[in-house]
Amino acid sequence: MTQKETAEILIDCQSVWKVFGKRSAEAIKAITGRGLGKQEVLKQYGCVVGVSDASLQVRRGEIFCIMGLSGSGKSTLIRLLNRLIEPSLGKVMVKGRDIATMDAVTLRETRARHIGMVFQSVALLPQRNVLENAAFGLEVQGVPRDKRNRAAEASLAKVGLSDWKLRYPRELSGGMQQRVGLARALTSDPEIILMDEPFSALDPLIRRQLQDEFRQLTKELGKSAVFITHDLDEAIRIGDRIAIMKDGVIIQVGTAEEIVMNPADQYVADFVAGISRLHLVKAHSMMIAPGEWQGAPQGLPRCSPEADIDTLIGLITETGSDAVAVEEGGTLVGIVTIRNLLMGVRGEPEARAA
Amino acid sequence: MDLSAFAPAFDKQVDTILSWLSDNAGFLFDGARLVLEGLFNGILWLVNLPPFYVVAILAGLAVWRLMGLKFGILAALAMVFCAGMGLWPETMSTLALVIAASVIALAIGLPLGVAAGLMPGLDRALAPALDLIQTMPPYIYLLPSIALLGFGPATALVATVIVAMPPAIRLTSLGIRMTPNEFIELAQALGTGRMQTFFKIRLPFAVPSIMAGVNQSLMMAFGMVVIAGIVGSGGLGETIYGAIRKLDIARSIDASIAIVILTMVLDRLTQSMAAAAQKAEE
Repeated sequence: MTQKETAEILIDCQSVWKVFGKRSAEAIKAITGRGLGKQEVLKQYGCVVGVSDASLQVRRGEIFCIMGLSGSGKSTLIRLLNRLIEPSLGKVMVKGRDIATMDAVTLRETRARHIGMVFQSVALLPQRNVLENAAFGLEVQGVPRDKRNRAAEASLAKVGLSDWKLRYPRELSGGMQQRVGLARALTSDPEIILMDEPFSALDPLIRRQLQDEFRQLTKELGKSAVFITHDLDEAIRIGDRIAIMKDGVIIQVGTAEEIVMNPADQYVADFVAGISRLHLVKAHSMMIAPGEWQGAPQGLPRCSPEADIDTLIGLITETGSDAVAVEEGGTLVGIVTIRNLLMGVRGEPEARAA
Repeated sequence: MDLSAFAPAFDKQVDTILSWLSDNAGFLFDGARLVLEGLFNGILWLVNLPPFYVVAILAGLAVWRLMGLKFGILAALAMVFCAGMGLWPETMSTLALVIAASVIALAIGLPLGVAAGLMPGLDRALAPALDLIQTMPPYIYLLPSIALLGFGPATALVATVIVAMPPAIRLTSLGIRMTPNEFIELAQALGTGRMQTFFKIRLPFAVPSIMAGVNQSLMMAFGMVVIAGIVGSGGLGETIYGAIRKLDIARSIDASIAIVILTMVLDRLTQSMAAAAQKAEE
């Protein structure tokens, strides 16, 4: 964890607000001056608060998911990160620079080189073939044809579409089109990729496949990503950290395990209720101190603190033991009993209780 | 208040303005007349260069390429039919007039349409003007033109251009405005400049609508060119007008058939071009 926290922060979003409506300027004044909330702003100024006081940091190499239902403001929030939408209030720092103060040229440069984006609608240009679409970002930057085509071919190879480069978008399935969308973002070799519900329109099987491929590819290439989704399963599968949004507010930010084990409120709790804990909850969050365990730890099967419930169940059923000893670097750090395990499966935060 | 005095006073004003214009800005209108007639005569010379069967074959080939063999043969035969009725010079004269008017209408209409598509304010300002042009009876435009440019093809051209321009402006503006939002967002997210966004994203999406505008302009021009027979446009319009005055019904029907044939060939050609543009998009 310590290593992660010291990693470079690529996007730093500080108390950002977005208010839509004709009287948004007045509404903003009321928010800063009188501390008006969302409801009052809507009532008094007829303005809709899209994003309310959102803060988040995206670190280098991490996949940051923003999960929320439709209307939660997640699509607005991601567009604030590359200033497709101007924030009403607050700061968005990209690689240490405030994008709100950038002039048109610098902003264009930043978008072209540092922040890629993939859309739910894919938005492939129908008059251009797959290769030309994948090279489009470099084309508008004025990169010569040879060079941009080479880069586009490389990124198409990464998403497994080398054989399709001369086809047209209409000849491709939805999943393949979205791969081209991803390839187009990768061609410009940005450090950050913004993914706006890229897989939401795909069928479940293709979706899972693309989720895994996306995660693997992002990690391999060392990219950072902000990934918008309305699907908690998807967020858990892909994200290193997850932010949960509701009504324009970020309710909770944390790893999947933190959110499942310690939901910030009833809304999050309801959301995570149906999520399988088997691969999410780790031994370290269920174990009790070695002293609290009556038996002798010598004969117990062993596991690391990062072992998940599925592994622990395997150990217990294979050996017939009542508990598993958790070891870190050769020293005993805790014990997970069957009782802890069962509570862990239910995702109860008191799983640690003896 | 005496309303009966209003109309004569108004008419007097209009007359004064028109005679002032022709007295003081006569050289302008003479110049315009020269340019317009030059353009018309140039195109007329060009379409009269090949004999009628070459034009018929060329028209047939073009229709065949775009719409298939059956329509190609039909188009060529129809053109030969025009010549067979002894109306070939008139048909070519009308064609030259329509082409000249459409070229001018598009040269003004397309850039104006693009500008209106990019600037909502201009679009709103143009809308009532275009509404006015399109609701007035088309032969109205002949009157001021004849006062300033005199009898002949130049007057016919100006009136035809006025009538043919609105659809080109409207449909071009619409096409530019209808760029799907996700592509505008894509352009922004990729850091695309304004010119590139226009030429690589907005314009390709607008092509089908612009082609529909070109087709509509052409059709309006055909309609007007016949009416312009009254002011000595020459061509089929004047043949029809002359035949009606002499109650030579048969002759006026001949000329009408020739007009219908010419209109249909050009309509089909431009429509299938628009359809091809649409298809390339999908």
